[in-house]
Amino acid sequence: MVPPLTLEYAGRSMTSPPALPSASAPGARGELLASARLFVEVARLALRRQLAYRAAAFAGLVTNLFFGLLRSSVLLALLAGQDSAYGLGARDLVTYTALTQGLIVYLSLFGWWDLMQNVYRGDVATDLMRPMSFYGFWLAQDAGRALAGLLMRGLPLVLAYALFFPIVTPTSPTGWAAFLVSLLLAGLLSFAYRFLVNLAAFWSPDARGIGRFAFTIVGLLSGFLMPLAFLPGWLREAAGFTPFPHMVGTVVDVWLGKLQGAALARALCEQAAWTVALVLLGRWLLGRARRRLEIGGG
Amino acid sequence: MLAHLGLYRRLVLAQVRSQLRYRASFVMDVLAVMVTSGAEFAAVGLVFASFDRVGGWRLGEVAFLYGLVELSFGLMDLVFGGFDPDFMGAAVRRGELDKLLLRPAPLALQVFGSEFQLRRLGKVLVGTLIFALAVSLAGIDWTPAKVLYLPLVVLGMIMFFGGLFVIGGTITFWTVESVQAMNVLTYGGLTLMSYPMTVYTASLRRLFTYVVPAAFLNYYPALYFLGRPDPFGLPGFAPFLAPLVGAFTLAAAFVFWRFGLRHYGSTGT
Repeated sequence: MVPPLTLEYAGRSMTSPPALPSASAPGARGELLASARLFVEVARLALRRQLAYRAAAFAGLVTNLFFGLLRSSVLLALLAGQDSAYGLGARDLVTYTALTQGLIVYLSLFGWWDLMQNVYRGDVATDLMRPMSFYGFWLAQDAGRALAGLLMRGLPLVLAYALFFPIVTPTSPTGWAAFLVSLLLAGLLSFAYRFLVNLAAFWSPDARGIGRFAFTIVGLLSGFLMPLAFLPGWLREAAGFTPFPHMVGTVVDVWLGKLQGAALARALCEQAAWTVALVLLGRWLLGRARRRLEIGGG
Repeated sequence: MLAHLGLYRRLVLAQVRSQLRYRASFVMDVLAVMVTSGAEFAAVGLVFASFDRVGGWRLGEVAFLYGLVELSFGLMDLVFGGFDPDFMGAAVRRGELDKLLLRPAPLALQVFGSEFQLRRLGKVLVGTLIFALAVSLAGIDWTPAKVLYLPLVVLGMIMFFGGLFVIGGTITFWTVESVQAMNVLTYGGLTLMSYPMTVYTASLRRLFTYVVPAAFLNYYPALYFLGRPDPFGLPGFAPFLAPLVGAFTLAAAFVFWRFGLRHYGSTGT
């Protein structure tokens, strides 16, 4: 087993001046470039750390596939021989299970506790001392983790589905482009939400319960557990006032080509707006959290 | 035997006392467990607002399957938590199992008493509520025989899933960590048994009838309770095999457990 790379290593390589262009490029632009390099480096190391666990990823993939099989069985049984229901046909439903199962790791749909654990262990003190913005550091780490999830779990799963089952794929270059944009936004939005939830650890000595509630809501209202189109109208409308449908539902709809033209543009704008709003909220709340942080230890 | 039972009772009570020490935290944990498993069923229940049936079964009938297996699994998790491959794997890794082997009491008994998480009652409670919904919706024609047979079905599923836990836990003697293939059987089996077998393709159904006998534990008994005909034409005694299948699985699992113990080499930590 390859030992996981520690981020202290990343920090050290970062502080060695010759590796950074900022040493020579003066001014604000140079600083921006340097933090971009730093971001990429942290993300790259997080990605490499995940790639070390290939056997576990394969086992997880098999599990995702099996549960995907069960879920698509239930959804197809709902159709009961009809061509489609509520705008979704058999191929759409199979594709829906492939995509949602493939997104589990990318979006950490079963929960994400990394920041919370660092707060409770006191490691957050080290994180705050890094030569990088706290928010940026965690975003970079999660970007690496999410990319690994996409490469090792999401992509192989959708490919396996494509091999054995009839699935729908985007048909035009614009369709693929829109999907990639929506996927990226969903990843950012999901991180912004998970970061907010984890911040609760700064206020509560046991925020895991709050976290479980928060992640369960995502499962129900994002369109992960069941397609949003199959839920009752009142619940769908209520979900429309939250960011949750833009974490899973929008991505799937864009892939299936259910959103075109103005509707597609509007969905992507809403997704982006929610992402910006949650990131800003997270950064503001982080400022408040830092002021009340006390690190126990010795 | 009586002394052993007394020991088990003390092991369990000690854990319950420590878990109830932080009352607010415990209540929060139970609520979180309830919300998580409740939300999964809520998603299914809400879909029935848009659809009448799944695989020819109405909401009340699906809730019967779902609630019964959920509450049985919750009870099993409470009792067999020590054999849970995730827990056992960690115990083997840390050398905790070696510690238990040195104590002058039967090992299986100590493992039974090593991980009793009272918060798992949350799952049992949710399962019971779903089952109550099923009973009120499905219009079951209760007879004395059905009332007597119901607890045996629950017992069958506890023994079946418990057996899978024991097998998975024993495998960690060699692998040191939980094997994902076993999780597919336990948690996958739990999900599979929550829906009528008519939902699945023929190959999946045959696999979970003849190779892994999951269909006999929940689906066939449910046919009997709900008074539904068997669409697959198995003999009339099929609904009554649940306790036997469960007992057989558990017995086979403990044979494997004893085989594993004879070959247990410890991690040396």
